[in-house]
Amino acid sequence: MLNDVLSALSAVATLQNFLIMTAGIWGGVIVGAIPGMTGTMAVTLALPFTFYMAPVPSILLLVALYKGSTYGGSVSAILIKTPGTASAACTALDGYPLAQQGKGGKALNMALYSSVIGDFLSNISLIFFAAPLALLALHIGPPEFFMLMVFALTTVAGVSGNSLLLGMVSAALGLLLATVGEDLYGSFRFAFVPDMQAGLSIAPVLIGLFALPELIKLIVLRAASKDEAAPLGAQHVTRDELMGSLRSILKGSVIGSILGAIPGIGPSSAAFFSYGEAQRSSKNGANFGKGELEGIAASESANNGACGATMIPLLALGVPGDVITGVMLGAFMIQGLTPGPLLFQTNMHEIYMLFIGMLVSSVLLFFAGKVTMRMFTKVALIPQTLLTPLVLLLCIFGIYSIASSTFDVAVLLVMGLVGFGMFLLNIPAAPFLIAFILGPMIEENLRRALAISRGDPVVLLSSPITWVFAVLITLVLGLTVRREFLKSKERRVQQ
Amino acid sequence: MTKLVLRGVLVVAFFALCAFYLIPVYVPRPAFIPGFAPPPDMWPRTVSLIGILLGLLVLALAFRGGAPAEETVQTDGSSPRRMALRFAGVVMAFGLFLLALPYVGFLIAIILLTLTMVLMTGERGYRVWIALLSVGAPVLLLLFFNSALGTQFPKGALLKTLGF
Repeated sequence: MLNDVLSALSAVATLQNFLIMTAGIWGGVIVGAIPGMTGTMAVTLALPFTFYMAPVPSILLLVALYKGSTYGGSVSAILIKTPGTASAACTALDGYPLAQQGKGGKALNMALYSSVIGDFLSNISLIFFAAPLALLALHIGPPEFFMLMVFALTTVAGVSGNSLLLGMVSAALGLLLATVGEDLYGSFRFAFVPDMQAGLSIAPVLIGLFALPELIKLIVLRAASKDEAAPLGAQHVTRDELMGSLRSILKGSVIGSILGAIPGIGPSSAAFFSYGEAQRSSKNGANFGKGELEGIAASESANNGACGATMIPLLALGVPGDVITGVMLGAFMIQGLTPGPLLFQTNMHEIYMLFIGMLVSSVLLFFAGKVTMRMFTKVALIPQTLLTPLVLLLCIFGIYSIASSTFDVAVLLVMGLVGFGMFLLNIPAAPFLIAFILGPMIEENLRRALAISRGDPVVLLSSPITWVFAVLITLVLGLTVRREFLKSKERRVQQ
Repeated sequence: MTKLVLRGVLVVAFFALCAFYLIPVYVPRPAFIPGFAPPPDMWPRTVSLIGILLGLLVLALAFRGGAPAEETVQTDGSSPRRMALRFAGVVMAFGLFLLALPYVGFLIAIILLTLTMVLMTGERGYRVWIALLSVGAPVLLLLFFNSALGTQFPKGALLKTLGF
């Protein structure tokens, strides 16, 4: 094993990989810092470029972008009270008041330290838990995989947007779109034009769905923000301040790692949970929301703490936990690697390289954050009216370059319009994407299970593992319905 | 018709269209299916029927008043008609881009699309930046993709006829 690790280490330690990771982290931090530009957008925009790279560097680039953007989201949250990413919403609660007090740099530094620690611990959890989980997954068959994927889809549908029902509608749309193309027996399903016989590629669908609606929103609704950035002011975080927040940082990292590993939860929920927990248990709890460094520490350690952990179900089970890991699953597949238990048997070298690269990227995140801090006040104010058309430009060039296909560009633009329509109808896009990616696997496992059982659907509840997932699905559905019922009741009382 | 009802109607209509028209017409069944393997239309039909059921639930909640809280869509205060016109403009720009691409070539089509998009956002300042973004960026990207990655972009039938 030591030989394998050393071999992977020497494969990762190249100038090219270092530059790729550095570019990914920097790019992620900058994109995350720009309001309206999300980590999902950064990762999806980079996807076409990964076609030309070796498998591990391409995944490392996407992972670096993910981590960088998750931290970058805190920049605009702190300086202009506009979270660059949803997971930085809690950071704005204390970050902006600190920036107004002339301590913007201090808040950014605390966000950086917490992010780096959370990220590092999350990577450790990935290294220790992914392989055993993959080993366990080797013993499960099609019915169990089907139930596992339905569980992941249910969780994503439950936590995305305001309604479980709309999340499920979104997932059904994604599942249906995934059926386009050639079937197991050579039938062409929904092949309205010859280009559709091969099915719809992942890249144009997901890039169209997540990157283009922002531009269409800007054109149709024209609700661009015109905020003023607060100056950086005092920057140094004292040893006492860091030690005072250390408990919340460690707790946030653990919360992030646990919640990140559950499909569908992701960094945003982890940040909210960690912030709430820190506020409850801290002796400075009353100061939360008024400019408390510990609040930033709790939120940032949890959202970055979830980054590495979201890779656990992806690598071990082949099930993406959120949209970004969904994009990464697409990247793995494009590179000819299939995440899941078999990956740990057939591509152990690549797995080690990935683990080492992820640990290195935690260190790079620290330096990228430090170096870019001065330019943050400018980055956060780049007008969206120029940025979003640039995104369109990159999307079209990127998508066309993958397969030199005008049809893919058409799919990209149509999916942009679909994404905008879904936004107007309050239908969340995340379940759609996860369902679109998981769709073929869900169908294949269901059909295999039914073929094995001679068409008896009871096979889906034939083993203890399928029962466990059935119980988990019921639990998620029950809890989500209960939560929504209580919210609805609260709304009626307020009215 | 309120937005909530419209949403339910759209969901039901879409999945019904798939289940009762598109699947019978566009999902052919092979003459022979081995063993107990389910046919190709089993899964899309199942998903469509579930979709219809979900749409009916969305409709029921819309009528019963138990629909989830709607997030406020932030706008510049323009009338719905004006916003609908802007949306139609976007659709038209995308459509024209795809139609014009085989004739004028990738570069000219994307320059025009980018310029249209920037102007449609309402941006009239930063003129140098707009010019750089609309013309400079596509040229640079084309050079990058063409020379570094070897991508061949369509030159356009019209430009070829004119001798470019």
